[in-house]
Amino acid sequence: MHLVIEMLRSSVLAATPVLLAGLGGTYTYYANVFNIAMEGMMLIGAFTAVAGSYLAGSWVVGTLAGMVGGVVAALVFAVFAVYLKTDEFVTGTAINMLALGGTTYALRQMFRVKGAFMSPMIRAIPRIRIPLIGALPGIGPVASGHPFLVYVTLALAIVIEWHMFRTRYGLRLRAAGEDPRAVDSVGVSSDRIRAQAILISGALCGLAGVYLSLGYVTLFAENMSNGRGWIALAVIILTRGRPLGLLTMSLVFGFFDGLGLSLQSTRIPPQFTQMVPYIATIVALYLYSREKKRVSAGQAGQAG
Amino acid sequence: MAQKVLLCVLFDILEVPSHLDDHFIEMRSLIKVYPPDTLALDRVDLTIKEGEIHSLIGENGAGKSTLMKVLYGMIPASSGEISFRGRRVRYASPREAVATGIGMVHQEFMLVPSYTIYENVILGAEPVGRLGALRNAEARRRVQSLIDRYGLNLNIDDRVCDTSVGAQQKVEILKLLYRDVDVLIMDEPTAVLTPQETGELFRRLRDLNAAGKTIIFISHKLDEVLELSDTITVMRRGRHVATWENRGLGKADLARAMVGRDVVFSVEKPPACCGDVVFEARDLSYVDAGGRRRLDGVSFTVRRGEIVGIAGVEGNGQFELVQLVTGLAPVQSGQVKICGRDVTRAPVIERRKLMCYVPQDRKASGSAQKMSLTDNSIMTHHRLNRRIESGWRALLNPAKCRRFAQNLVESFGVLAPNVDTPISSLSGGNQQKVVVGREFLFDADFVLLDQPTRGVDVGSVEFIQREIIRKRGSIEGATGDVGADATVTATATAAAGCLLISADLDELFNLADRILVMHRGRIVADLAPPDTTREEVGEYMLGAREPQPGPWGGAQAGEGACAR
Amino acid sequence: MSKNAITALAGIVVALLAGLAILWAQGYPALPSYAALFSYSLFSKFAIVSTLNKATPLVLTGLSAAVGFGSNCVNLGQPGQFLIGAMAVAAFGIACDLPTPVMIPLAIMVALAAGALWAGIAAGLRRRFNMDEFITTLMLNFIADYFTLYLISGPMWDRTTYSPMTKMTNPGSWLPMWDGLSAAFVVSCVAFVITWVIWDRSKLGYEWRVMGQNSAFARVGGCRNEANFTRAMLLSGALAGLAGGLMIMGGMQHRFVKGMGANYAWDGVMIAIVAANGMVPTGLYALFFAAIQTGAMGMELETAVPSEFALVLQAIIVLFVVASRESTRLLINRWAAKLRARAAAGGAQDIGKGEGGERRASGH
Repeated sequence: MHLVIEMLRSSVLAATPVLLAGLGGTYTYYANVFNIAMEGMMLIGAFTAVAGSYLAGSWVVGTLAGMVGGVVAALVFAVFAVYLKTDEFVTGTAINMLALGGTTYALRQMFRVKGAFMSPMIRAIPRIRIPLIGALPGIGPVASGHPFLVYVTLALAIVIEWHMFRTRYGLRLRAAGEDPRAVDSVGVSSDRIRAQAILISGALCGLAGVYLSLGYVTLFAENMSNGRGWIALAVIILTRGRPLGLLTMSLVFGFFDGLGLSLQSTRIPPQFTQMVPYIATIVALYLYSREKKRVSAGQAGQAG
Repeated sequence: MAQKVLLCVLFDILEVPSHLDDHFIEMRSLIKVYPPDTLALDRVDLTIKEGEIHSLIGENGAGKSTLMKVLYGMIPASSGEISFRGRRVRYASPREAVATGIGMVHQEFMLVPSYTIYENVILGAEPVGRLGALRNAEARRRVQSLIDRYGLNLNIDDRVCDTSVGAQQKVEILKLLYRDVDVLIMDEPTAVLTPQETGELFRRLRDLNAAGKTIIFISHKLDEVLELSDTITVMRRGRHVATWENRGLGKADLARAMVGRDVVFSVEKPPACCGDVVFEARDLSYVDAGGRRRLDGVSFTVRRGEIVGIAGVEGNGQFELVQLVTGLAPVQSGQVKICGRDVTRAPVIERRKLMCYVPQDRKASGSAQKMSLTDNSIMTHHRLNRRIESGWRALLNPAKCRRFAQNLVESFGVLAPNVDTPISSLSGGNQQKVVVGREFLFDADFVLLDQPTRGVDVGSVEFIQREIIRKRGSIEGATGDVGADATVTATATAAAGCLLISADLDELFNLADRILVMHRGRIVADLAPPDTTREEVGEYMLGAREPQPGPWGGAQAGEGACAR
Repeated sequence: MSKNAITALAGIVVALLAGLAILWAQGYPALPSYAALFSYSLFSKFAIVSTLNKATPLVLTGLSAAVGFGSNCVNLGQPGQFLIGAMAVAAFGIACDLPTPVMIPLAIMVALAAGALWAGIAAGLRRRFNMDEFITTLMLNFIADYFTLYLISGPMWDRTTYSPMTKMTNPGSWLPMWDGLSAAFVVSCVAFVITWVIWDRSKLGYEWRVMGQNSAFARVGGCRNEANFTRAMLLSGALAGLAGGLMIMGGMQHRFVKGMGANYAWDGVMIAIVAANGMVPTGLYALFFAAIQTGAMGMELETAVPSEFALVLQAIIVLFVVASRESTRLLINRWAAKLRARAAAGGAQDIGKGEGGERRASGH
């Protein structure tokens, strides 16, 4: 029982960064921007969050700095990909490289360390105890006592579902992704919408970085996003960008991530348990493709 | 309508100034250069009167669409000025144009396929409440009432991708009505319609005109322009040629002004002489991934020395037919034979040894735009033509490849600085000549042509159509009626059988010896051009006529057509 | 071609200036740093040899990425293929002890095969189940990383050392050194020539290039895209695997050490991108990036700029070169259009006068 609760708790914690980045990616997904730069935006966000929190001694500044870091990376992406018409894949890859190289360089340049930077001066984001639920046995430890960003993320998933499908902005954004000329012809700039989508995704990926470096742990390590941005990209493909679908899928991935952590107490070598989320991603893609094939074959069979 | 004509006549006699604004829209000395140096508009002046139907005609590339896009604020003019209702305007975006009352329906529809008709109509002018949330109830009522008022016969909750081309056009018009425009610009609206749908569109346009809307109608079809308009403006090569009132004008006048010389309305075509069967489709059926039956028991033959045309509204199975014939999609049931060989299960490359194929869209599948002219001209030849490989068979010989491309350029009159330029730098007509030339340099007996002259200037259309007829051959056979282009030596002169798929009825009537009409995945009629009319073909295309008793494709049908 | 070279050079110059500005803004002696960067990479025999040694893996991973991207196979798995290639050669070199002339060709084959195998998994998943190769290759990177880490800290750990690494390979598989220049560089040159011939001269390469530009065109033309996809993926993987294998066979350590090749493989992706997937530009940029990385060490010695600055500089170069390639054409064209319009308008006045005259004349 204790183990189950521990696993559920860790899956919520591990799901949050993937979900946050994925929610950012929802915007670019619907705007039809191939946002391979999420990994880099996340990494930059994680670094600027630690730097902000350390220098100002405040988690609020750290959180804002993380978001600003993500947005600045997104701004570079938007300027190159949207306005200078550089290939999205190329720009995104270059930004990932810049993030990896830039944070490693800045780590040495600013903090004179290699590999990882930790310090008691870094203020983590506070954890929230939910009054009533927190006291419940079983549910309490799973639902309560997480960094507040976890709850913000859950709320965001619902808000973004609404924003994407019930508002003018969502209508235009999805239209711009499907046929930019249709949007341009009614006098709404599709370029501007795409740029906005990239900036929003930058802010949310930055927030995911904040969660990693000020919530999940309280330190910055080289390449600490460790592929979560790419897993988020895979999750977006799997759920076709639906925010509520993302919520479920991220929890599944969080579960596998948490599973890896829990298995570390067993005799399985830790390197194999650490592989679990990546293998899970491949398996999920496989199941998705099989399902897609089955559905289309079924339809063909019915009509034929 | 009649009243209006009467009034006009009255004003003419009495010389009373019309209450309508004669200088409703004025464009003065407009210049537009597309980067880097395509002069699309060259000092164009044009005046549009209020309440008229004003047609703009000209060849592809004459600048009609560009002129209207400039008026509509979609692209900025390089210089010149526009005034609307006496006030000078310079729209930075279509939104501003629409706000002042000018709207445009583009040749390619600007609709979001997965959205409903309602969503497409409100896009960009959405009714919103707090926090940008959509408020649909009232707007839906308004859209519905517009549909009822103008008899547009649309269901606002249908997804656009599930509706016909004619309906999509109505959605585009509805978008403008919802925005309350006074001027409707229609860019080649009939290009995608059947004759019947065109008739319907013209009735709607006249209704709108009677309700006080000014209509600018862009076309290159002379009959339509003469039928519909009050005033006609002719453009050629980015220049304004003339503006006439539509009284006592004839097709020849317009055509001369359009092209700058006298025009023959059809390509000269010697009679066909049919030989053995080079292509046979037997009972082809195809169900797509979404479960829709796209082809339903299609059978027909093509003989050496004839051009078989396939008419039909787009999306009635032509696309799938081409896919099955070329081997791009697997045959689910039925049989395909080329030159007597069963190729039903053969891969693309095996079929390409027996046939040549001009694909529908040269940008999508006929060329690689960023690659050089040479690279584009050796496609498929690189596997089948031993003369461009080097000593070692796995390698190509660059010098031989370039010579091959050079030969193609010369044989087919392609205008290009050299064979190393990217093909994207050539004009559409020259690109199409490269594609057609590449395919016609194969010595194949069966030729599949999918919209071979779409989006190409008149000169290139004529050239390509003549090449097609040469490829088909004639009674004189190998000696052929070569005429003016005797320089073309590389083309195989032996007769071939051609299958021509075209949405352009004029092209079919110009070229085809037989016309098969496709409707909902079936062949519903087998007609011979001298004995049929565009209207008859159109009725079959729409399914308005009972299908002819089939099956076609037996040898009888082929022989029947040949006997004529 | 020369126009491309000029825009590329312009991009490099702007990027280097941007790097200079960054150094200057952080209070480093900017110009002396750059002087050190180049003197330690180009202006002595030792510097050039170091640069060439550094270039070996960069050329190969660059070619790997260029072959992949140029054929429209988004193989982002160079890091994984690199590690698997290196691990396979390490295992082979430890397990077998044969004379050098046999051992070296075999080791090269092993490296090629291992890299191709790892890329082949992604290719198979794509062909069989239509799974996006860019995600599967990325995931396979992590799997390869943890798998090799497991091997060097578990079954293959050399217990005489304190950090995770394998034993040394048998000397038969070591490549010779001449004055510090490893024969690995020669191997990579041979690989470069072979890849260039395949890519630019062969029918297969032609089909790959067309597939990379417009796969529908290739399909309609009768190319077998599915088979070509697999072949391109395999070659791409083999090249990355070779890069890894040469790290074991050449160099000094001759063993698989934790964290090896952490950056090399991603550098390949960047090189292919700046080189726009051309083979010759890929070779040139690989040398250039190698020079920057080699020089960065010298820069750290001389002016205390952290050598990681090389990573920043590379990414900036990528962004600027790519942006200049795409946008200069746009800007030049726009400018030409403006001139043309002005000329046309100028003509308007002249002709307008003439026509006006005529009209007046006919009016009379």
